[in-house]
Amino acid sequence: MLYDHPIYRPLGDMFVDVEFGDELHLALNFRVIGLNLSLAEYPIPGVTETVPSNRALMIAYDSSVIRQKALIDALREREEEATKLRRAPSRLVTIPFWYNDPWSDECAKAHGAPNNMEYLAEINGTTIDGVIAAHSGTEWWVTSVGFQPGCYQALPLDPAFAITAPKYPRPRQWTPERILCLAGKITSFYPVRSPGGYQLLGRTPVDLYDPLQRNEVFRDSPVLPIAGERHRYVPIDAADYHEIRCQVEDGAYCYDIAEGEYSLDDYLARLEAVHVEAG
Amino acid sequence: MFEVLSGGPQTTVQDLGRPGYLHTGMPPSGAFDSFSLRVANLLVGNNPGGRYLVGRDPGDAGLEVLLMGCRLRAATEHVIAVTGGDLDPTLNGQPLPMWQAIRVREGDEIAFRSPRSGVRAYLAIAGGIDVPPFLGSRATNVRAAVGGVEGRGLKTGDELRIGEPRKAASELEGRAWPAASRPAIVAPWTVRVVLGPQDHLFQPESVETFLTTDWKLSPISDRMGCRYIGPKLEFLPRPDYLVEQAGSDPSNIVDDGTPLGGIQVPSGLEPIVMGADVPSFGGYAKIATVISSDIGVVGQGKPGDIVRFRAVAAAEAEEIGLAQEALVQEGVRVSG
Repeated sequence: MLYDHPIYRPLGDMFVDVEFGDELHLALNFRVIGLNLSLAEYPIPGVTETVPSNRALMIAYDSSVIRQKALIDALREREEEATKLRRAPSRLVTIPFWYNDPWSDECAKAHGAPNNMEYLAEINGTTIDGVIAAHSGTEWWVTSVGFQPGCYQALPLDPAFAITAPKYPRPRQWTPERILCLAGKITSFYPVRSPGGYQLLGRTPVDLYDPLQRNEVFRDSPVLPIAGERHRYVPIDAADYHEIRCQVEDGAYCYDIAEGEYSLDDYLARLEAVHVEAG
Repeated sequence: MFEVLSGGPQTTVQDLGRPGYLHTGMPPSGAFDSFSLRVANLLVGNNPGGRYLVGRDPGDAGLEVLLMGCRLRAATEHVIAVTGGDLDPTLNGQPLPMWQAIRVREGDEIAFRSPRSGVRAYLAIAGGIDVPPFLGSRATNVRAAVGGVEGRGLKTGDELRIGEPRKAASELEGRAWPAASRPAIVAPWTVRVVLGPQDHLFQPESVETFLTTDWKLSPISDRMGCRYIGPKLEFLPRPDYLVEQAGSDPSNIVDDGTPLGGIQVPSGLEPIVMGADVPSFGGYAKIATVISSDIGVVGQGKPGDIVRFRAVAAAEAEEIGLAQEALVQEGVRVSG
């Protein structure tokens, strides 16, 4: 559900949640991003940081500067602005990606699961190449960054994207770092070796989290993805993978990042068209 | 300089953490009981830093010592102060008085023998611990392997370099923090919470149960979260679209932000209070949030300790938090 007006929920005396709805929907995340942009451009004194998630904006504040009640009053005045945001600045990050790589295969086997790409092809009535074509054929909208440093969630911007993935019945104990994965229609990422239950799609040679901040793109933050940017995943082979990985480790890799903006109305129009087609 | 003779189960370098990066998924980290670290720093003339999480000054770094077994040797003369939980600290085998500045000499040995009340002690050294900052803070986050000494707990053989003290030892020695202004670090604990953000997803009777139960702290607790054993909490029925989008477990929600102090209840079993190394998102309903002044209390619980959660309004939580901040500011004024 997308609420008519956001609900303001206290999170103790250091945070407030501005909740725009309870489900996963791009239109809802757009409002989260809209309010976040508004607060970045016209800060409310006392707000110390903001954390966009799929459906809410978590706001940290210093009660010695502004009390929660006054903060919520000030946020209410931004409501309409956030709701009306139709276009947002949104850079496009192109990420080379080795679909169905050997590490993902090994990881699945170690946990008693079939090759995840074969499994996804089977349950979605297509082939591995079909899964790759669909996943690399759409841009992805990063709704939120977090859980752990560099982890993110992204939704497909092509409303016709039809691949869905169930989570593992029992979560894996480990997943190699730099693996991209899918659950439902959400693409997510394992920046470091960690447990998890999403289906494994493959591995990128590119760091999206680098605590050593070796590359210029990590100068201000060790985490590359930001909520509200778009990703495109470009299929590469083993030779490309190893070549790019060497460049990344040398700090010489040149990230493909294009500034741009994105229109919610375009998305909603395409969504409508897909629904009409599906009748 | 200090030499580490033994790190114990987990001794980490901590200041007040690295807020400002929550949107990247980087936890704030820093001292779990930040009030105790700030007082220890004040006693030895260090920078106590700003308010935890919402301030931007991490202050000087000290040590967060967990339970028993940590042993250190002073390689040179220093002024130190130990605050927080009473882990039976000793200086050369003799009881080391807490909450006051003490001069230690070359070769002196400091040890933490056993937890008498609380589980986390804070050791500040005049001049502060000098390790390379990461994103503006020296706080250790063991899970992300950043900050402190190589992103890990201290181990035998580590050497800690100390910065230049701001005041002469003679001026610091004997300074004590008034007993009336020390937190009561003793079980059974009362932890104050503000209900929400998802208390409305629980059965009303379960919210009542949450607030009236004597919860027992589980041994499966760390700086990321403290887990409490007690009755199962039940959820209200959910619409189908949420079952599909958020997950089949009745405690599942579409992920949203998880604050420091947020209390997740996966499957209605064993509420987890998120600590200083909190992950920034979660897909489990959160019944309440621990108020800023009581985060340190959570960090002082020992497995098996009884904890009662008491609800307060957000405005009251703000008053309590500001009163605690006023104590630190009074300390700053007095110590000049």
